[in-house]
Amino acid sequence: MLIEALVPAASSYAKDIDFVWELVFWFVAFWFILSEGIFFYFIMKFRKKNSPKAEYISGEEKHQKKWITYPHIAVLICDVFIVVAAVKVWYDVKQDMPPTDRTVRVMSSQWAWTFTHPGPDGKLDTADDIIKNDELHVEVDQLYHYELHSRDVLHDFSVPVFRLKQDAIPGRTIMGWFTPTLTGEFDIQCAEICGIGHGLMGARIFIESKEQHESWMAKNNPRGENLLLASNEGR
Amino acid sequence: MKRIGLWQYVLRVLCGTGLALLVFSNTANAEENERGKQLFEMCSQCHGLQGEGMALSLAPSIAGLELWSLEAQLRKFRDGARGVHHEDIAGMRMRPMSMWLKTDEDLVAVANYVASLPAVTSEATIEGGDATKGKALYGLCQSCHGANGEGLQPLNAPKLTNHTDWYLKTQIYNFKTGIRGSNPKDTTGALMRPMAMALANDQAINDVISYIMTLSK
Repeated sequence: MLIEALVPAASSYAKDIDFVWELVFWFVAFWFILSEGIFFYFIMKFRKKNSPKAEYISGEEKHQKKWITYPHIAVLICDVFIVVAAVKVWYDVKQDMPPTDRTVRVMSSQWAWTFTHPGPDGKLDTADDIIKNDELHVEVDQLYHYELHSRDVLHDFSVPVFRLKQDAIPGRTIMGWFTPTLTGEFDIQCAEICGIGHGLMGARIFIESKEQHESWMAKNNPRGENLLLASNEGR
Repeated sequence: MKRIGLWQYVLRVLCGTGLALLVFSNTANAEENERGKQLFEMCSQCHGLQGEGMALSLAPSIAGLELWSLEAQLRKFRDGARGVHHEDIAGMRMRPMSMWLKTDEDLVAVANYVASLPAVTSEATIEGGDATKGKALYGLCQSCHGANGEGLQPLNAPKLTNHTDWYLKTQIYNFKTGIRGSNPKDTTGALMRPMAMALANDQAINDVISYIMTLSK
């Protein structure tokens, strides 16, 4: 809710990631307010006018130690909730790989993104592949695998509306997945310092309905098929 | 007090105005040059402090190129006419850099500064080229780029001297394969495509570049 007010959640796992973030946020907020509250209460209660001079204590007495031990145990219990929620999300997003026959190739280089979309045959490395710089086109509610590469240095494929971030490492092919759930045009950015042009290494993701996506594929078919259809639509 | 005639008065006003304009234009030029120098700091990260180029960064020498050509190429990068093909690795680096130049004034200022840098003669890095054969092949190039590679602005043909040879080779290859010059926005680049096609193979490209490199000396 907090993050979604600022950045839409446009992938199937975005809300799960937001939930973990907010769980951490509310735990931290609770302990912060409580500890600061107690701290200021003691400052006021034991202020110089009402109290004798402070003395040094070693903190070894049981009644003194409990001020550390009890909150410590409580924080550890909170951590258990956070770890369980985080591991579940991590497994779903990064380790599980739901099957699909749709794959897009994401090539990062200084300082541009090159996206290879499968054409109408749905397969990569065929003659109808659609290659675009700084434009990724996907169909809403369809599960995609992405195949992430780097041509030169470390980059990071970051799609804020998906809550997705994945490093791209030269020499490695990194696989991942996403299911877009919201149509629209959103940002893609590089989230790893990659040289002087890093700040301008942005791209756009276009999440389209089935009809929009088919129309886009028809217009951009490198084989030239459907060009007549595309030109008629443009009139 | 001595009275002056009308013509003498007009003459004095004109001289005063001229002097003021001269001072103003010099100040404006100095400011533009300072702005260009400031902007060039970004370029120098890849192109070198003197615009001498750095092969490792795929950045060619740019020092002392013609102002009109520098401006034209910066506009092409900025407007997406160049550097948008997915195989143009160096061009894709240059495109975001050109987008730093938010205004036409900035673009002109940095182009002016680069044009004012002393031209650099680079060492040859391509081996196996025959400059004598290259001279014959250059016959086609010279109709636009000039007999001495000096360039011809009315034909949008930049000078070919003081370039790094690996850059010339990459660009000829890019024109041949459509990596450059096939974008509908790049109308002047499109003219170079059939010219590059005339160089039948790698040897012919090496030969003509070997000849062009002799023109820089």
